Amino acid sequence: MGIAVLALGVGRLQAMQKAPLSPDDAKRIIDHVDRLMRGDSSRATVEMLVSTPQWKRSTRMTIWSEKTENVLIRIEAPKKDAGTATLRVGHNMWNYLPKIDRVVRVPASMMMVSWMGSHFTNDDLVKETRIIRDYNIETAFQGARDGTDVYEFTATAKADAAVVWGRIVYEVRQADTLPVWARFYAEDGTLKATATFSDYATMDGRVVPTRLRMTPQDKPGEFTEMHYLSLAFNVAIPPNMFALNSLRGS
Amino acid sequence: MIVIRLGWRNLWRNSSRSLITIAGLAFAFGFLIFAMGFSRGFILQLLRNGTELMVGHIEVHDGEYLPDRVLYNTIGGHDGTDWHAMVGRIRQHPSVRHAAPRVYAFGLLSTGNRSSGGQLVGVLPEAEQGLNRLFTPDVVAALGTGHAIALGERLALDIGANVGDEVAVIAPAADGTQGNELFRLTAIVHTGLPALDRSLALLRLGDAQALLALEPERIHEIAIGVGDPMDAAALAPDIARLSRAPAGAVFQGWRELLPQLSNYVDFARAINAFIIGLVVLFSSMGVLNTMAMATLERVREFGMLNAIGMKPRLIVASVLSESLCLVGLGLSGGLAFGTLMMAYLTTHGLNLAWLTGELPMFESRLDPVVKGVWDWNTIPWAAVSLTVATLFAAYWPSRRATRIDPVEALQAPVMP
Repeated sequence: MGIAVLALGVGRLQAMQKAPLSPDDAKRIIDHVDRLMRGDSSRATVEMLVSTPQWKRSTRMTIWSEKTENVLIRIEAPKKDAGTATLRVGHNMWNYLPKIDRVVRVPASMMMVSWMGSHFTNDDLVKETRIIRDYNIETAFQGARDGTDVYEFTATAKADAAVVWGRIVYEVRQADTLPVWARFYAEDGTLKATATFSDYATMDGRVVPTRLRMTPQDKPGEFTEMHYLSLAFNVAIPPNMFALNSLRGS
Repeated sequence: MIVIRLGWRNLWRNSSRSLITIAGLAFAFGFLIFAMGFSRGFILQLLRNGTELMVGHIEVHDGEYLPDRVLYNTIGGHDGTDWHAMVGRIRQHPSVRHAAPRVYAFGLLSTGNRSSGGQLVGVLPEAEQGLNRLFTPDVVAALGTGHAIALGERLALDIGANVGDEVAVIAPAADGTQGNELFRLTAIVHTGLPALDRSLALLRLGDAQALLALEPERIHEIAIGVGDPMDAAALAPDIARLSRAPAGAVFQGWRELLPQLSNYVDFARAINAFIIGLVVLFSSMGVLNTMAMATLERVREFGMLNAIGMKPRLIVASVLSESLCLVGLGLSGGLAFGTLMMAYLTTHGLNLAWLTGELPMFESRLDPVVKGVWDWNTIPWAAVSLTVATLFAAYWPSRRATRIDPVEALQAPVMP
């Protein structure tokens, strides 16, 4: 989504802050949240902090993405993991492990396994969920919370959608339609995880939350935090960036 | 003694009928011996295949380890324990035959562009011998050197690995990193359990600990083999005391670890008791018929005995002794018949391959050939039950014999 389109959208949303939201407006806001960190292509430098009762690790990585299909993640630090890379093309995924110098395809049976020890699964990287396509959106709340005007939206999975979550509840700031938190529920209604957004800043001309913390509900005290150090949209992707050869890096 | 002789003599007054009843009893008892022997062999085979592959008769874990098998929950907590000493103490228990430490993890195995998830099990191959039937001398030798790996046959097929190939193994390690290492495939094992054949990857304990960033003191399990698996639950507390296990360690018998198999064993025993009951019931009906006919035929004789003042208990005793002789001969014949069948069953077994093939069931598997095992716990009970039921069946005609009116009896027609 271009910056101009975003600016137009925000302007229109400011006008409708006081009035009840129409279903179309609710969909538009959720789609905006869903596309917030995406462009036609992007390059990000992210620091990922994973905290568990047993250990705490910080990993710095560069992420290239193209549309919703192609992603290449290369770990840069710490030194022990540097060079480790994950490539996703469509529904396929490979890991490169520099220690043994092998490219390993991730089979479908391993999609629900943790990615790099984080609280994200391999499936989180490959799924191509589009919220407004796969979920029905309803406005559950519109008003002030903790001194900030917010919307609360409930996204309920459509019957035929192949998605992980049965329901996702979002809180979005009315002023700039940026997400505050998202809660992910299983099909049976159990709360499974909460994503909290913070440290809103302008990156490449777009205001985005630069810190995302994912907290699993069944593992108290554990979380994975993604801190965006830089983020550029609609960047030029080098040729063959999303090919197996590029996994080994230069 | 005279009563026994009387019973014996009376038994042969209608030899055809007695022989038919004796043959019926012999067939029933012989069938019971065969059925119980087959059933015991069947249960023991399931039990052995369930507890002598990857599950031991008794297993030691950290209390938090099962059912999720979380990597961090090692025996003795995060600091681990001196498991060498603990295994040594466990082996000192007179009922313990084997004890072996293990480390478990879930990982990704890959050769070239083919990969599959698998259950990684770090073992001391020499300690597994005798405890785990997968560890034949060949497999122990194959896992004798570092960076060797043995795979379940289906897993090897899935990733296209042959003996001698290099296999990349990737697993989440205890320090949060992705453990990854190259191994040489040195053996392919067949467990007969599809879930295991699809996922099992055996490697040396030290290699597994290094891959998973676990300190050498940290293990997930000690598997224990005892003399008689049926004693496992009773032995577990004793072995636990002797082992001086660290706080939080739990000792569980196979009945807790394999509840489906345990339930089936109990169910099979209940079915056995039911079959014994049915056979005893039908056999005693045959005896009842024989003894009722025998007393009916001898109404005049019993009337005469009553008339000359023979004590009723002696009349009862003579009828009961006759049925006792009947059942004694029946049981002897049955034992001989059953022994013949068991001789075949224990030597050759019954080949059910045409019916079932190798059949996974109740967390275990049934081999195509089931060999019988003498069930000396049940056979005496079956014999006693048959004897008691026979005596009960004969008691009613014997009591009837004591109540025969001599006058009426002497007027009764003479039976041919």
